[in-house]
Amino acid sequence: MITVFKHTLSRSRGGIIGWGITMLLLGMLMVAFFDSMAESAAQLQQLFATYPREFMAFFSNSGAFDFTTAEGFLSIEYFSFTPLILGVFAILTGSGMLAADEERGVLDLVAAHPISRSGLFIGRYLSLLVGLISILVLGFAGIVIGTAYSTMDLDPVALIVPFASMFALLVFLSGLGLLLSMVLPARGMAGMVAGIVLVASFFLNGLAHINDSLAMVEPFLPTRYYQYENWLAGLRWDWFMGLITVGLAFVALAWWAFQLRDIRVGGEGSWRLPWRRKSAGQAR
Amino acid sequence: MDEQRNAAIFAKGLTKFYGSFQALHGVDLRVERGEIFGFLGPNGSGKTTTIRALIDLIHRDGGEALVLGIDPQVDPVGVRRRVGYMPGELHLDQALTAEGLLRYFNDLRGKAAKPADIRRLAERLELDVKQPIKNLSHGNKQKVGIVQALMHKPELIIMDEPTQGLDPLMQHEVLRMLKEAKTAGSTVFFSSHIMSEVESVAQRVGIIRAGRIVEVADPMALGQRALNRVRVRFSQPVDSANLAKVKGVTVLSHENGKEIRLQIEGEVDGLIKALAKFPVSDFETERPSLEETFLTYYQDTTK
Repeated sequence: MITVFKHTLSRSRGGIIGWGITMLLLGMLMVAFFDSMAESAAQLQQLFATYPREFMAFFSNSGAFDFTTAEGFLSIEYFSFTPLILGVFAILTGSGMLAADEERGVLDLVAAHPISRSGLFIGRYLSLLVGLISILVLGFAGIVIGTAYSTMDLDPVALIVPFASMFALLVFLSGLGLLLSMVLPARGMAGMVAGIVLVASFFLNGLAHINDSLAMVEPFLPTRYYQYENWLAGLRWDWFMGLITVGLAFVALAWWAFQLRDIRVGGEGSWRLPWRRKSAGQAR
Repeated sequence: MDEQRNAAIFAKGLTKFYGSFQALHGVDLRVERGEIFGFLGPNGSGKTTTIRALIDLIHRDGGEALVLGIDPQVDPVGVRRRVGYMPGELHLDQALTAEGLLRYFNDLRGKAAKPADIRRLAERLELDVKQPIKNLSHGNKQKVGIVQALMHKPELIIMDEPTQGLDPLMQHEVLRMLKEAKTAGSTVFFSSHIMSEVESVAQRVGIIRAGRIVEVADPMALGQRALNRVRVRFSQPVDSANLAKVKGVTVLSHENGKEIRLQIEGEVDGLIKALAKFPVSDFETERPSLEETFLTYYQDTTK
């Protein structure tokens, strides 16, 4: 398991460094914007007040935010949209954790070595978690480094809260992508379905603030439990644990599916959509 | 039960379904420890499915299987620890060098292979392990697959078409390695499409067709039974009917009696003696592919 973990982490280091440095620079850039916008923050606040409620619903759960404070600024300019970007990474990584190598035919030979399927699964999943944490730590560092050169007054400890919440959301999304990749015929399909869930959740969550008929859907939206504002008040542990628990439940189901299923080469052992079954059914 | 556990590979009534399609219809197989066993069958006959079920890459749906006395579904890691496996469709991680990949595989085996043994195998196969996998030709990738299957000196070597894509010299070298592994006490179970290769190394051959073992035979006997095609040119026209009377001979075509194409099943001795009576100017033999042999010889067996 340790060998698999180290190998997978080493193989994905390019992606982790690329996404991590992007998040680092994005954090620094956003803090730099805070200074340049500080002088006109009051006018901006007034300007936002004139925007339609429907528009602002996508940036704030409460609909009220203070653009002049570090918390309000970062909530709108950084934390409101970064899960969409990192969510894509989490979904791609989760859905590709085993299925990408399986589709390339590489998993066959690896799985023929003396390592249990659980060892292979856990080693790769731990590497995925370390990758997600590394990117978030670099994003966190970007903001903290930025504040050293800015007038932004921010307690780094308090800043852990939105990143912790984002981590929980990413655990949920990567777990969903992983589970779907174990039960759907193709990794691409798994990524697409999980991506639809992410985007739909983001938009429905925003619309639910202005449309009461969507209120009944809101509790089922994962982004509903992402704490990107009011984080100075402390972590919402119920939201955090909820996302983590469901995300890990997806992972446990994916592990179970991986134990039961065949390692595919060229699609054998997978189910097929009805209109594609004609080409199935050849032994090898 | 002890007798079954003593076999290197024991399978009884092995079945496998892919959805509604049944790939294995009750495979019965016994490979003794220390022998080289050739596993033959046309494409789609279930060779690869059988092999993959034996190391639990796919789960069998029915029947029994023991590999080195262990049920691969009960203790797959225990089986894989003692087996060296090379898949028929070899896909390797393109991001690594051959050396990096072999090191990774050796780490997965708990460093069971000595670096000197890995180097020695690579040198014998003329494999440059410093090269990235993505830069290697198909044949060189095949060599990486062979090295990883042999490097830890496994008790059982399972190879699916090991010489595929290799040049004739390297094919010969790989077959020599398999013979050496046998001499060192390993069991070799390999599938192939090449009759001559199976004849040269295997002690016994199992024939699989449509998911069933149709015969386990001595490779020499199988070779004698195999079809040969013969093209004979004569300096004067001859009556092909005279040749058609020879046992096992079928006349495929004749052009003005001066060029005749024949097919002969089994030994060619009778044909040679019959031809000696005619003015032969040229004689060519051609062995049909194993696939063709299967189609002609075994097509009735499974009906």
